[in-house]
Formats: sequence, structure tokens, C-alpha cells
Amino acid sequence: MSKGNNFIEYSIAGALSFLKESIFADEYATKEGFLQSLDPRIKVITFLLFISAILFTKSITISLCLYAICLALAYFSNVNMWFFLKRTWIFIPIFSLFIAIPAIFNIFTPGEVLFTLKLLGLKLIITQQGLFTAVLFVTRVIASVSFAVLLSITTKHFALLKVLRIFGIPQVFVMTLGMCYRYIYLFLEVVENTYLAIKSRVGTRLHYKKGQQIIAWNISSLWHRSYYLNEAVYNAMLSRGYTGEPALLNDFRVKSKDWVWLFFTTVFFVILLYLNRK
Amino acid sequence: MHIPDGYLGPTTCGIFYVAMLPLWVTAAKIVKKTLRAKQVPMLAIGAAFSFVIMMFNVPIPGGTTGHAVGGALVGILLGPWAGCIAITVALVVQALLFGDGGITAIGANCFNMAFVLPFAGYYIYKAISYNASIDAKRRVIAAGIAGYLALNLAAGLTGFEFGIQPFLHKTASGQALYCPYGLNVALPAMLGEHLLVFGWVEAIVTALVIKYLQKQSPEFLEEGRKN
Repeated sequence: MSKGNNFIEYSIAGALSFLKESIFADEYATKEGFLQSLDPRIKVITFLLFISAILFTKSITISLCLYAICLALAYFSNVNMWFFLKRTWIFIPIFSLFIAIPAIFNIFTPGEVLFTLKLLGLKLIITQQGLFTAVLFVTRVIASVSFAVLLSITTKHFALLKVLRIFGIPQVFVMTLGMCYRYIYLFLEVVENTYLAIKSRVGTRLHYKKGQQIIAWNISSLWHRSYYLNEAVYNAMLSRGYTGEPALLNDFRVKSKDWVWLFFTTVFFVILLYLNRK
Repeated sequence: MHIPDGYLGPTTCGIFYVAMLPLWVTAAKIVKKTLRAKQVPMLAIGAAFSFVIMMFNVPIPGGTTGHAVGGALVGILLGPWAGCIAITVALVVQALLFGDGGITAIGANCFNMAFVLPFAGYYIYKAISYNASIDAKRRVIAAGIAGYLALNLAAGLTGFEFGIQPFLHKTASGQALYCPYGLNVALPAMLGEHLLVFGWVEAIVTALVIKYLQKQSPEFLEEGRKN
């Protein structure tokens, strides 16, 4: 026997934190704030403009400006800053920061010497080009992740999925997305309950091979349940009038405030593209 | 394996969106033809299944855990085209609703994980288990090999996409604008960890799930063969 059964703990903790985070996200989406008051379609278009501007920029300053706009939008939308910073920095930007660090040295990015470090007898040279590359990379990642997270926490998830229709995505895809979203919660609950049941019976240390068997059994059991759930769901859809073509309600309303916001964001995006060409 | 926003330049992101478009259209057409009306919710359930198995922590020697992607398994169970749609939906949900996968990189992520992974997994499994009976041990071995090879293929491709960024996007003075490492670093880094650790996790999970299904519900493996 070797090591503990912490994969069970991790899996329970993972499922729980996922559910908790979603509840938090839903809480922000129903709060009163600037972004929550916008029409979801206009919000998605403007956020895509912001994310595209971050993608196209070659300047650290513009990247940082866009990040500052994102933080300001979060503030005016009544999003708790500590929650937002924690949610956005963990995990992708921190991981990106770590992988960007070696790029600042001349081993990976040769160029003009900015300063030299001596570490354990090793001479490490930080180059201007390397520092620029690493800083631009990290600011681009954090700004993009922040906009993506801000969009998801200030919009009701179901509304966000319905918005996909304006991009000409077939209704069957939108319906699949909506249904998939609901099943994720159901499956997470199944997984969490199964692990709790395993934990209450295992109680002590478990060999990793046995652990792998438990995981495989769990996945196959989940597939088994999924498959048989399909028929019950289809019958439920038929009983509610499903005729083969999904129908979705359109209850979005565009206000003058939305048009003003769209206008300013578009102008801002065009200016950034112009600056980027210089 | 998930490429976040900011790692790939606009050209690469655009190319992969363009590459995925005909694949999504073909997948939708084929699935509409082959999927019986009764199985319509199966796509959504399959997508949720793909999403959730990515969250399983698999114990590995040394007391730590690793994640399986499950792409080859989804390809084997749902068939490659339905698998492509299910994984695409799971990736879109992840990127759009949870900010995990990168909105601008959805095309590239779908190409690696919703196209290469289930297709390679399905066809490797099908080739090795050709003519084998449902309860044959060869199916378990085939699933393991399919999981290992398909994941490494997708990982190699991801490493390649990272590695070409400094060549495609740089300033006039040669500074990289996106992923800062070339092919000589990105490719071995991505392949190394997948060949040594995550590929094995994927292989074990895929093989064991097929083994359990052989015992508990062999009809699912029959169904997979029809797709």
C-alpha cells in the first residue's frame, strides 16, 4: 500500500468548488450593475471587440489599458474585487507568468543586455527584448482571461448561450449547449455523491492502482447512466411538445444605453487598431 | 492541453476557425443523418460527459494525481463525428461560461481536442481491435494504445502551434508577440510531459473504462462500432 486516497478528496473538492463558483457567478449576474444592465447580445459583441483588441495589440501599454478598463467595468458592476482578482489570476495567468520567466533571459531571447544576475555561480543576462516579450505575453493573457471571466459572471449563463443565435449558430447547437450545461450539474452531483460514498466505505489508504480502477468504474458507470438518461429525456421533450425542431424564446430588449455603449466600444476598437498599425 | 487566450496570434486563431468550420458542418450533417430522433439528447449528454471526465483526478505513482482528457474514449463511445460535436460543445461551455479555454483559441482547441483526439483515438482503436469479439482482451489493449497515441498526437500538435508563434508573429526587432518559445522548446515541453505522464493516464483510463464496459454493458461497445 502506498500513499493516501487524496484523489477522492481532490475530486470531491473539485466538484464542490466548481458548483460553489457557479453559484457565486450566478449571484453576480443577478446583481444590479453596469454590465448586468446591458443587453446580453450587445455585451457579447463589445466583449469580443475588447478581446480582439487584446489579441491584435503589440503594445504593453494598450494591453494594460484594456486590463484597467476590465477592472473598472468589474468595479462598476458590483463585482467583489478580491473575488474577481482571485478568480482571474488563478490558474492560467499565474501559470503563464511562470512559463514566461525563462523567456526574459538571453538563453531564450537574445538581445540588448538590460542587467546581469549572478545566481549560484551562473551568469544570467536579462535582455530588453526578453523582458518585453514576457511582460506583453503575461499582460495579454491576464487581460483576455479577465474579460472572458467578467462576461461569464455578469451574464446569466442561459442568456449567454441564447446569444449564440445572433452569430448564426444553428438552434440545434444552442439547444445542445443549453442541455449540456444542465447535465454538467447533474453529473457533478452524481460524481460528488459517488465519491462521498466511496470515501465513507474506503476510509483509509488506497493503492494508486485501485484508485485508477475506481476512476474507470466511475466513468463507465457515468456513461451507463448517461445513456439511459437519454431515453427518459427524449420522452420528457416529446411530452412538452418537441417536434424535432427546437424553439427558443427571444426576450432580449436593446435600449438606447446599449447602442451608446456599442458605439463607444466600436470607436475605441477602431482607434486601437489604428494605433496598432503605427 | 487547453490553449488559453493570448498564446496564439490572430493568424493562427483565424486559420483554425476556418479549418474547423467545414468539420463542424460535416459533423452536424453526418450526425443528423445517423443519429436517430430518439438520440438527440445524447449529444448534450455526451458533451456533459466529456466535460465532467476532464475533471476526474486520476491517482498516479508517487501520490499525486493527473487529469485525463477522455477525447479518445468519447470518440470510441460516441463515434468520431458525434464525439467531435460533443467535445466542441464541452469546450465552448468551458471557454464561454467558465473562462477556462480561451475564446479566441476555440478553433485551435477544437482542432486538437475535438477533431484530432477523437478521430485518431477512434481509428487506432478500430484498426487494432478489428474483428475482435466484444469481450476480447485486444479491445482493452487497443483502447489503451488509442488513448496514449491520440493524446500524444494532439499534444504534439499543440506544441507545434505554440512553437510556430515566434516565427509568425514578431516585431521589427524580432521580439515574439505571443507564445515566446520556438519549436525547439515548445515541442519537447509539450510532448515530454504527455509521453511520460499524461499519455499513460489517458491510456490507463481509456483501457480500464473499455474493460468495465465489456463486463457491465457490452452493448455500448456494439453501438460504438456502428457509428
